[in-house]
Amino acid sequence: MASAVLEARGIVFGYQRDTAILDGWSEAFAAGTMTALTGPSGRGKSTLLYLLGLMLRPRAGEVMLEGSPTARASDRERARLRAERFGFVFQDAALDATRSVLDNVTETALYRGQLRGQLRERALSLLDRFGVTVPAERRPGQVSGGQAQRIALCRALLSEPAVLLADEPTGNLDRGTAELVVSALREHACAGAAVIVVTHAPEVAQQCDREIRL
Amino acid sequence: MIRLRALAGEALASAIAQPVASALTLLMVAGMVVAVMLTTGRTVGAEQRVLSSIDAAGTRSITIRAEDAAGLTSEVLDRLAGVDGIEWAGAFSSASDATNSAVPDGVRVAVRYAYGAQLERLGIPERSPAPGRLAYASAAALTQLGLPDAAGSVTLRSGASFGIGGALRTPDFLAAFEPLVLVPRDEASGVEPVNLLVVIARSPELVAPVAEAVVSVLAADDPGKVTMRTSEALAELRGLVQGQLGSFSRGLVLAVLALTAALVAVLLSGLVMMRRKDFGRRRALGASRGLIVALLLVQTAQLAVAGVVAGLIAACSVLLLSGDPVPRAEFSAALGVLAVAAATAAAAPPAVLASRRDPVRELRVP
Repeated sequence: MASAVLEARGIVFGYQRDTAILDGWSEAFAAGTMTALTGPSGRGKSTLLYLLGLMLRPRAGEVMLEGSPTARASDRERARLRAERFGFVFQDAALDATRSVLDNVTETALYRGQLRGQLRERALSLLDRFGVTVPAERRPGQVSGGQAQRIALCRALLSEPAVLLADEPTGNLDRGTAELVVSALREHACAGAAVIVVTHAPEVAQQCDREIRL
Repeated sequence: MIRLRALAGEALASAIAQPVASALTLLMVAGMVVAVMLTTGRTVGAEQRVLSSIDAAGTRSITIRAEDAAGLTSEVLDRLAGVDGIEWAGAFSSASDATNSAVPDGVRVAVRYAYGAQLERLGIPERSPAPGRLAYASAAALTQLGLPDAAGSVTLRSGASFGIGGALRTPDFLAAFEPLVLVPRDEASGVEPVNLLVVIARSPELVAPVAEAVVSVLAADDPGKVTMRTSEALAELRGLVQGQLGSFSRGLVLAVLALTAALVAVLLSGLVMMRRKDFGRRRALGASRGLIVALLLVQTAQLAVAGVVAGLIAACSVLLLSGDPVPRAEFSAALGVLAVAAATAAAAPPAVLASRRDPVRELRVP
């Protein structure tokens, strides 16, 4: 098995002090693999994704990114890692309604210290590749849910992240669009990234290299 | 550098993407600038007019007249060089009658020898092309001498002649000695008798102490034959005008600034609450807290600058059209800097609030 890009070691976490959603959870995610996180609602799948994506700090345990521990990293450093090493696709796309489609795709450029203009061509090419047919100047409120999710996928793929975390990326999509999104995630994994997908859809889980049930 | 450019571009794009909030911020700052300019600015403009009128009356001058027997010599200038608070000092001999050399029986004007450095303040060149042989005359003197082109020469009753080197700019403090003709004496030995000494204090409030210091270094043989006239009363009036208007203006400006800052803070706090999901998303995608704070501060500063420019243009237009005094550029610039600083400072607490939005919480709330 290829070396782990991302690894959880004995993670303990709970939103309340006296309860733990995850209690000593460990798993490694190798480069070039696509993993499905499945299980009933309320088992902490999205929470685990936020922990792996360095948005939450575990109460105990460690998240290792490319061999380096992150639990003690400063907030600034964790933000930098999120911007540079991670790509995120959230359940509701989470786009900025006040900005254009193109601005949404290039949003993370600023967090990596880049100019949006430098990534314009790549952003347009990704939008084209994923069939976002609306003009790039249009606002997210003027596009369909499926198109919005594809825009969010373009945003996540723009920086070619080492780890791509997707939370129910096909939840609101029709079958055709869902297949397009999953194949894009698969393609990114084949390019050498670790892709982790939270999903309730068995057909999505089947297309992953492995399934972890919570 | 790229990061700064990206930040400025992002802040501007965010401002444009939120037209209502941006317009409100801009209008608040512009309104504040207009309010200050039309109240305090107008007062300051009027104050500057009054003060310049007082200054034109020679607020800072100290004039000493000495009779011949007083024994005052040009050496007094060397002693005055050691006195602090003096901007300029010049000494003048007693007047001698002179006429246009070409018209010996023409109108007589008074000629005085002038001692001291920086006589160029009077229109006399720093280096004379013919030292000791040139005289400089005021416009009134040239007219009386029949030398309107400042060309020709004058002859004293003693027979000494001086070519006219140019025209004098008669300052307020020598206006009483018109028509004025001066012969600069660059190489004074210090023993030349002088009958008139003019000292300009560096500021109106220094007139009284400088006058005391000048009296102490006069070293006249007979102090009883020396009289001094100062503009102390004018200086006091100047201080009174400046103090009264200044304190009124400061209070008003501070009140308007505080009100504007409070309004900006309230507006931005509301904006942050409305857009908390936006800030949560930014944090989730990798924006640091510092970047969020910087983004909001730069955005506010950009809007404040636009508001200041708009406010200044509007206020100056109103003042000019109504014929009211417009304050000096320094006042407008200071007001602009204060307005931008106040608005930006007021944006800091909401910006910090925005930077502390929990990304997970905001992403989970539908």
